[in-house]
Amino acid sequence: MITIPYLTALTTYFSYGLLFAFGQFRDFFRKIFDWWRANNLQGYAPICLGLEDFYTRRLYLRIQDCFGRPIASAPDAWFDVVERYSNDNNKTLKRTTNISRCLNLGSYNYLGFAASDEYCTPRVIKSLKRFSPSTCSARVDGGTTTLHTELEERVANFVQKPSAIVFGMGYVTNSAILPVLIGKGGLIISDSLNHNSIVNGARGSGATVRVFQHNTPLHLEKVLREQIAEGQPRTHRPWKKIIVIVEGIYSMEGELCKLPEIVAICKKYKAYVYLDEAHSIGAVGKSGRGVCELLGVDTADVDIMMGTFTKSFGSCGGYIAGSKELIQYLKYSCPAHLYATSISPPAAQQIISAIKVILGEDGTSRGAEKLAQIRENSNFFRSELQKMGFEVLGDNDSPVMPIMLYNPAKIPAFSRECLMQKVAVVTVAFPATPLLLARARICISAAHTKEDLVKALEVISQVGDLVGIKYFPAEPEKQEQLKEMIKMD
Amino acid sequence: MYVRAVPPTDLNRNTEWFTYPGVWTTYILIVFFSWLVVLSVFNCSPGMAWTIVHLSHFLVTYHCFHWKKGTPFADDQGIYNRLTWWEQIDNGKQLTRNRKFLTVVPVVLYLIASHTTDYQHPMLFFNTVAVFVLVVAKFPHMHKVRLFGINADL
Repeated sequence: MITIPYLTALTTYFSYGLLFAFGQFRDFFRKIFDWWRANNLQGYAPICLGLEDFYTRRLYLRIQDCFGRPIASAPDAWFDVVERYSNDNNKTLKRTTNISRCLNLGSYNYLGFAASDEYCTPRVIKSLKRFSPSTCSARVDGGTTTLHTELEERVANFVQKPSAIVFGMGYVTNSAILPVLIGKGGLIISDSLNHNSIVNGARGSGATVRVFQHNTPLHLEKVLREQIAEGQPRTHRPWKKIIVIVEGIYSMEGELCKLPEIVAICKKYKAYVYLDEAHSIGAVGKSGRGVCELLGVDTADVDIMMGTFTKSFGSCGGYIAGSKELIQYLKYSCPAHLYATSISPPAAQQIISAIKVILGEDGTSRGAEKLAQIRENSNFFRSELQKMGFEVLGDNDSPVMPIMLYNPAKIPAFSRECLMQKVAVVTVAFPATPLLLARARICISAAHTKEDLVKALEVISQVGDLVGIKYFPAEPEKQEQLKEMIKMD
Repeated sequence: MYVRAVPPTDLNRNTEWFTYPGVWTTYILIVFFSWLVVLSVFNCSPGMAWTIVHLSHFLVTYHCFHWKKGTPFADDQGIYNRLTWWEQIDNGKQLTRNRKFLTVVPVVLYLIASHTTDYQHPMLFFNTVAVFVLVVAKFPHMHKVRLFGINADL
């Protein structure tokens, strides 16, 4: 639960109001100037309707240098950020040839596979030479190699489901599977903070979409009861099928899903459960098997498990794991399988090797070490930040920790100050998050050493004092030590 | 003093910010401070200042709530392009707490403005027209109604 100081809420609304008012003024004058100057549209309609790109033009472009920073090396714990400058107040940014070596707190590099790895990279290079970078064909035509079948078997074994299917892109996995699984006459109930890929897939399916309050099983039950009682809109016939979509770790909150309660409710009302484990697979759980293992939920109770390989496995692509009949049906009907190019062979080999390392099948205990390291790192970092007085969201054991900023001016201040001190953070604002709740999102990796984390904490504490985001009082530990020292003197 | 921010179930990012705590207070504070600013800039009587605040409030809220359609970002693929902000809030549900509050504010401003000007013409006429237009625009029956084709779609 996010607790905001009341004064901060008021000042944030006022700041956004001011930004909005200035944007409207500038648009008004721009309209006058443009009416003066002839436009070259010649009767064609403009590409953007008047209001659509207002946010991009008047708010986002002002702080554009905090987003989309190009990097010049692999996204390991330390990486090279290319410096940029602007001559027209951030409307266009030009790259320089200078790079600065920064601590990477923004990449989803949970297990440290993002950079060159001693087990995975030689094997990936071997498969690149053997299979070439792309299969140049869809899975059903000529795009299924031995690597693809091995990958699907290993993924099914890893998440402990009977069978799995793999796609080339994580976003497409959600947005192309949901229209195939459910159509008009079905009901999708999704968490209010689900990812854009799920929202797009649900809208594209044609089913009725209802939203339940984030991570609140009681509200889910209320919505389910209401919808089952009412039936389909207008005809009031019973729903053809009901799917409840939740995520394992919510990437903007760092919270774990309340999976046991939600699965119990879905069993009671006979709804299917679709679990999106994009951020939790490979990063949580004793052996890295995701949020089901962490919370003790039997994987046979979750009907469809989806995940991506971008975060913990250092590759690209997504998978769906489920029963044999479900995967067989998907192989006949899903457009991402029938028409889209299959996952690149070196990427598939990277995932296979990463899974082998995590499970310890490569003969070393590096997998278990990485998992222990990321758990330790996340818990240490989160508790230290909370002790300093920051408002940090997320549950324990989750490697994603958003630090709340709230005011729109603090977003570029925090980002730029941290970059000046060689720490690269990712800041997120409206419309990816609600208007009030802008945040800086830190992703901890197993590749971060203790010294890296201590340095990051120092920098963040300094910048936090400068920018003024320590909304909670700091823990009184240090004050007591000071008092003791004064007494001794 | 802290408040809890419960994430609402509204998917429309253009309007869900209105359900968070602190919005009503900010609205009232902005109106009050603009009265102080008008008083100090124009050096007029308090009644005239309230009239000016009321009329500019009418212009601003009519433009933002009942004239501009759609959302200021392109993420939602234009499903709200035919709806004004007033028609979008609370997912189109009528007579919610937010809507009742927003209907009451122009009426209260009208009462303050007409009381402090002692109900003199011509201020009374303009104030009455403003509050009449605003309150009628917020009726549940006016949901998605475009009178005489004004502000209808392209």
